[in-house]
Amino acid sequence: MSPVSSSQFSAAIQDASRPRKLQLLGILSGFAAGAWLGAAEAPTKLVSTGISPMVISLIMVIGVFLARWSLPALILGTSSVRADVRRAPHLIIWALLAGCLWAVANTLTIFAIRDIGLSIAFPLWNSNSLLGILWGFLFFNELRQAGWRRRAGVLGGALVMCGGAALLAVASSGRGPAAHSLHGVWAALGAGILWGTMYIPYRKAYLTGMNPLSFVTFFSFGELGMMTVLSVSSLGLTPLWQALLSARSVVFWLMLGGFVWVVGDVFQQYAAKYVGISRGIPLSNSNQLWGLLWGILVFGELHGRSSSIYLEVIGGSLLMMLGVGAIAFSSATGQEQTRWKEAAIRESDRYGVATDFVEARMDGRQVLGEAKPSRSGLDWLLVVAATSVFVIFAAMARVPQMSLHWGPAALLTAVLFLFLVICGLTLWRTTRFN
Amino acid sequence: MKATERDPKTRGWWTSILSDIHFWVPIVVLVGGLLLLRFIR
Repeated sequence: MSPVSSSQFSAAIQDASRPRKLQLLGILSGFAAGAWLGAAEAPTKLVSTGISPMVISLIMVIGVFLARWSLPALILGTSSVRADVRRAPHLIIWALLAGCLWAVANTLTIFAIRDIGLSIAFPLWNSNSLLGILWGFLFFNELRQAGWRRRAGVLGGALVMCGGAALLAVASSGRGPAAHSLHGVWAALGAGILWGTMYIPYRKAYLTGMNPLSFVTFFSFGELGMMTVLSVSSLGLTPLWQALLSARSVVFWLMLGGFVWVVGDVFQQYAAKYVGISRGIPLSNSNQLWGLLWGILVFGELHGRSSSIYLEVIGGSLLMMLGVGAIAFSSATGQEQTRWKEAAIRESDRYGVATDFVEARMDGRQVLGEAKPSRSGLDWLLVVAATSVFVIFAAMARVPQMSLHWGPAALLTAVLFLFLVICGLTLWRTTRFN
Repeated sequence: MKATERDPKTRGWWTSILSDIHFWVPIVVLVGGLLLLRFIR
């Protein structure tokens, strides 16, 4: 038997602990995604009513578009995006498809809230996590050979989260069902199905080795393209332009909401990559809890409401935390991860992507000899251009006249940045964002 | 060919996508979503 050096021994231990590290990283990303996606609602609450929901959605998507191009350029550089596209060009189609699905789902939620109120609509579309679990199981070998405890943990956790979401939605909504209730139910269910199915392209991309930062870049074209088509077909080009012009004083707040949403979505992508969609989606769905925290603590939304409402909020929050905990403690075992790798090999065979590249990316590292991503002048130009657009609209923005609780706002913002720093640093140290 | 490059012998990626059931599920759902949107509007 040949002697084993201490460096070989430590490398072997590191390799053995690598899957566990990536699982923890995925769970941490899911928590960070929930916090940032929930906070994305905060800037939009500063916008008073009187603006078409379609226009609000379109402006947010424009903010999302700017962030989705500038953040990847800042973190890794567009050379990394180009390299990903050369290796797996078919993934552009998947990313565009996912963006289209997101835009249609988001528009359906607007109609659902209008017709049946948030209390009924939110739990209906939150069922997307259950559909994500089904697609993950059927198409990507997720939860296969996971053992009944882990399956029960994930499925039970998702169901408990849906129950918690229902309680929170009832508590946070003061509206009763309005007209066209059946239309609203269909719209909410449709949004859930579209969002749940949107995770098929997500998982597809990550099993084939695409970097989440490259995926979101192309996703944004599908998203903005579909949203523009929907807005123009719904309002007409001239009325839409006039609505955008008259909304210029609030454009900044809506774009800021879109920017915060993108940060959350990037974490969600890493969660989907490292723990799969069956676990990543329910963890990200904890955003409702964070949205409610912003609503209650910063905007005083439930001020003066009955004690039963507060009980519903506490009960719903506890249920959501219980569900999140059950999923977080049901990480994939070695056998299940072997099944994930089988699904990845199937994808690399089908699309002719090099197996060593897919394996390396699933492991969150670069292939031996692969050039390190670097930023060029074009990347800095993108960052400067996106920042300039935000600064221009910030200068036009009107500070809303409403009472805000600045103490809790500062605390929640600090928590957000804590998540950003901890999760960002962990991602960097473990994977270098690969 | 480098190990990290695409295999040139693989059939075209459009053919691979169009014959992939994973592609048609989101397409059907997207078309259904657009029809639903048209119906409720």
